[in-house]
Amino acid sequence: MAEFFLLKYIREPDQGELDAYTARGGYAGLQRALGLSPDDVTAEVDQSGLRGRGGAGFPTGRKWKFLPKDPAVTKYLVVNADEGEPGTFKDRTLMEGDPHRLIEGIIIGSYAIGAHLAFIYLRREFHGAREKLTHALAQAREAGWIGPNIKGSGFDLEIVMATGAGAYIAGEETALLESLEGHRAMPRLKPPFYPAVKGLYFQPTAVNNVETLHHVAWILARGHQWYREQGPPILYSISGHVQRPGVYELRLGTTIRQAIDSAGGLRPGRTFKACFPGGSSSALLPAAYLDTPLDYDLAKLDVYGSMLGSAALIVMDDTTDIVEVVARNVEFYRDESCGKCTPCREGTVWLSQVFDRLRSGRGRPEDLTLLAGISKDMTGTCFCPLGESVPPCLNASLRFFRDEYEQRISTATSQVGHVALAGRPGVA
Amino acid sequence: MGEQVVTLQIDTTIVTVPKGTTVYHAARQVGIEIPIFCYHDRMPPLGACRMCLVQVERQPKLQTACTLEATHGMVVHTATGEVSEAQQAILELLLINHPLDCPICDKGGECPLQDQTFKFGPGRSRFVEEKRDFAKPVSLGPVLVLDRERCILCWRCVRFGELVAGDDALKGFERGFHSEINTPFTLPVQSKFIGNTIGICPVGALTAKPYRFVARPWDNLAVSSVCTHCGLGCAVSFDVRNGAIMRTRPREQPAINDIWLCDVGFFGHAYVGHSDRLRRPLVRKEGGLVETTWDDALDRIASRLRNGSRVGVLGGARLTNEDAYVATRFFRGIGGTPHLDHRVDAPAGSPSAVLPWGMTTAISDIATADVIVLVGCDVTETYPVLWLRMKQAVDRGTRIIAVTPKALEVSRHIAHHLLHAYGEASAVVQALQSAAQGGLTDERGGVSATAITAAAATLAGAARPLVMVGRLALDAPDGWATVRELEELCRHRTVALNVLRGKGNAFGAALAGFRPDAGPGGQPIAVMGSQLERIWGAPVNTATGMGAAEIIESVANGKLDVLYVLGADPATDAANRGMWTEAAARVPFMVVHDAFLTETARNADVVLPVLVSPEKDGTVSNLEGRIQRIHAAVPGPGEARADWQILTALAQRFGSRLVYDGWEDIFAELAALVPGVSLEARVPARPFPALPTPQGSAASSREQGDSKSGDYPLIAFVGDVLFDQGTMTSRCPAIVDLSGVPRALIHPQDAEGRGIHDGDAVAVTSPRSTIMVRAQLSTDIQPGGIYLPRGFEGIPVAALFDGSMTLAPVRIVAMTEGASAEPRKDKGSR
Repeated sequence: MAEFFLLKYIREPDQGELDAYTARGGYAGLQRALGLSPDDVTAEVDQSGLRGRGGAGFPTGRKWKFLPKDPAVTKYLVVNADEGEPGTFKDRTLMEGDPHRLIEGIIIGSYAIGAHLAFIYLRREFHGAREKLTHALAQAREAGWIGPNIKGSGFDLEIVMATGAGAYIAGEETALLESLEGHRAMPRLKPPFYPAVKGLYFQPTAVNNVETLHHVAWILARGHQWYREQGPPILYSISGHVQRPGVYELRLGTTIRQAIDSAGGLRPGRTFKACFPGGSSSALLPAAYLDTPLDYDLAKLDVYGSMLGSAALIVMDDTTDIVEVVARNVEFYRDESCGKCTPCREGTVWLSQVFDRLRSGRGRPEDLTLLAGISKDMTGTCFCPLGESVPPCLNASLRFFRDEYEQRISTATSQVGHVALAGRPGVA
Repeated sequence: MGEQVVTLQIDTTIVTVPKGTTVYHAARQVGIEIPIFCYHDRMPPLGACRMCLVQVERQPKLQTACTLEATHGMVVHTATGEVSEAQQAILELLLINHPLDCPICDKGGECPLQDQTFKFGPGRSRFVEEKRDFAKPVSLGPVLVLDRERCILCWRCVRFGELVAGDDALKGFERGFHSEINTPFTLPVQSKFIGNTIGICPVGALTAKPYRFVARPWDNLAVSSVCTHCGLGCAVSFDVRNGAIMRTRPREQPAINDIWLCDVGFFGHAYVGHSDRLRRPLVRKEGGLVETTWDDALDRIASRLRNGSRVGVLGGARLTNEDAYVATRFFRGIGGTPHLDHRVDAPAGSPSAVLPWGMTTAISDIATADVIVLVGCDVTETYPVLWLRMKQAVDRGTRIIAVTPKALEVSRHIAHHLLHAYGEASAVVQALQSAAQGGLTDERGGVSATAITAAAATLAGAARPLVMVGRLALDAPDGWATVRELEELCRHRTVALNVLRGKGNAFGAALAGFRPDAGPGGQPIAVMGSQLERIWGAPVNTATGMGAAEIIESVANGKLDVLYVLGADPATDAANRGMWTEAAARVPFMVVHDAFLTETARNADVVLPVLVSPEKDGTVSNLEGRIQRIHAAVPGPGEARADWQILTALAQRFGSRLVYDGWEDIFAELAALVPGVSLEARVPARPFPALPTPQGSAASSREQGDSKSGDYPLIAFVGDVLFDQGTMTSRCPAIVDLSGVPRALIHPQDAEGRGIHDGDAVAVTSPRSTIMVRAQLSTDIQPGGIYLPRGFEGIPVAALFDGSMTLAPVRIVAMTEGASAEPRKDKGSR
């Protein structure tokens, strides 16, 4: 029977203290890593099959192998702790509950790629996490886990924590690097600015997610074979209309239905309407997909934009007005668009204007074609994934919940009776 | 290079391009147009506007052609249905919030958004919502106006400031559809190159205040010419309508300005049509200057010139090459005087009065230097576009060592900025040179030994250094010492010294022989005598004459009877203002050719109205000696004539045949005399061999520095500023606005204890005189110095200086009452 470990100590009140962390086996993975060659550490992670937990699911070991091995080349490791995808809150939970694990993962990762300076780019609003990490970093530095010649290994590392300035786009890795360098957070052109080639300050850089580095710490502590036997495990952020929303450690491939059940199921008397399987950037899936496994194969589904993403399952029951959901989603991307490229900047504002009109009872039959048209114009034309995150939800809603749009347009009422016309959600 | 090419197919055309070429450029090479907005070929691709999407076989998504590198075997489609749909989509999106106020937009008719919508856009829009509504326009500074509704956020202007000018003049604010362009801290834009952003704006979002609603582009006639303000010779085109210049635009000139201009180039043409222009000759009658006929004016001159050969001739910078050549021929031949010089502002005996002005290195070769040693030159204030070349070099890895008494505004691009106390450049250069040879150094002129050593290490590693010296060093008390140190430095590296000195067409004057020691082409006059006599058909005075400073001194001493001034204003520019005042009071007869009644002209006996360069046909030479053609764009006012025409008319009164059909005749004659002279050719300046290093060179810095005393504890020095208020610039309202309130730079250390605050009015007193000026506290200078800007009528800095000295011991006193009572106005207030 596989064990669950990622959240194992998350509720221990003293887990953020070095002594308690060490007593529970902490820094053992790092100790082991320092005894291996960097290449062996990378190989260990590679063989574990770990895929990045930030959303793109790129194999972590392979990502590290892209960095040049030449020790003369300055390399950086950057932790993307700018968790901002709506519905995603696992990284915050990990940083607040088990901060030393992240530090351990950072040191292992930096050792593997040969970085001597690592950065944590922390979302500005994560005050709790910042407090915990600041404390843990000081303890680790005091204990000799950070600094020159870590535990006599000859490996030097400094870790710098920086906070963002409140932009969702800064979660996009190249925009994150721009922001970290002190510039306006706007994504860079790839190529040539693949972080592994030209990242922070144009030096080769590994950008890793918080959860990913937690996995790394465990993999080095227990070995890749043990890790593979565990499932592999993954953290799902489950929110919306479930009885017990929260972070759940489940095996990769849990179905939507099982995940909802893990979170206490729907509220009594309610039925499932739709969900985002992987955060607001993924497609909306209706009830027909309840038994679909939440894994990387979601991207192969016959629904455009369906994906596991950051494994943020947002559940909506039959009280949900889909038009309102999509409108809100569009507003989010409108407000978070960096403004660099035309389709994202102009498309999101146009879409939200159309939705405003629909919601105020001034919809036209041709608006469905128009929404689909704008969505198509934004598909495959945007500079970065932010703008491309709008069509999946919109397209799926037009496909699965077209009747709700039609009712809005023809009767100026919501199919879900208690959502007021022209109004905002919540007005009965 | 052979195998470094790739072959790809674009639509039906096979094209081979060097590896690294983008699909956009590959397509352009074979005449396939891919529409763009954000991409500009002088900046790296950005990929933001998404206008250039193309289809590439075996690629799932459309690709931006501006960012996509062409690869071998690539098959690109630029006109499929899918591409066309994407182009229409982007244009529709760009237009949803565009105000479509094209009928009243300055850009209308030359607008890429218009043109590409016409060619690639959808016939109609599906947009039925309300358009974004911004207050407009927004003033971003003295000349720049932003219309946010029109802006399509291509980021070109922002990137121009970041990448080309290096001044970060404009930035993006807010995000998403709220994004807008503004200046850092929303202060009036600080740039010397902002006109370029207006030019590269692909819509009418950035417009120029002086050109707003002035003309439609299709009504303008573009006349190619050359900007003659700073002497760099940037190629321009004057847009003319109804006989007046509507605006100036850069003309592509790869050798000099590429496609850029500075803001004096952009906005410095208004003086041409100014109502102050002189329209008829003036002669002195009963104490005043009154209008007269050309015949009368010329007869008067002829009668006085005939009286004797004691004639001094000053001028040059505003003349064309042809004007200067005819002046040389007229005065050396018919006038029989050797005393002619164009270096009116060179202090007597200083390096400026001896060294050949100009660059020996080609401007376009700046980018090939690995280290640039820039001594005493405030480059953005004196030759701004030269900085753009240097910035290009910096981007390629060139390191700049700057040795200046005032920090350069581009200092963040300078690898080693050795900011020294004025008058100590020679000490710093000497230390730099010896440290580069492995010697040890100590602190020099306020520059730390560490900084000098670091710069020396960079210099020691230089394979292709470029050494340049400017006016702040040449005219300093230790000018000669600095030059000798630099010559030593150059000798060690077998490179030539570039002398960044001279404005307007000073270089053409030198080429034409408008100088006391040499003939056309800079050959010693004595050697050329017989050749000149053969071609000119008259006796030539082949003596070595006096330089400008000596001419003025001779006039003041009564040793010259006639002073003839062509296109110069020694009353303002002469290094020794006191001497000029004496000369002007004593001169028996003075003739001035000018476009305006300058201070010099006001003292003249005859003032002749002349054309200015946008009104003239002919050629001019630039800082690197490149000869360029200028075309008359507009007619001159009233009876104004070209200088050479005046001189040929005058020659008739001497019974001489000095007849030319036009500028071409003159140019041909000059070309026959000087090997290498032809259009677009470079004929760099030659040394002035006949003049020995003067023993009477200005006192050493220490000597002058000693005059510092308890009463006058500070040292004042003067520097050029780009946006000054000279004869021409003060008659360009845009430049006046850009110049703002002139400020004296005072180090905070020196201000403290004197009760001087930023923006206060202060009295600067030297043993000679007192001037009032507004103070700006700044660490751009070393403590103990005061920097004063040259070229403002309001602060007659020359009054502070004794003789030819270029530093003045001064004291400063805050004029507290007046200063604090007056509301503080920001420079160039909006």
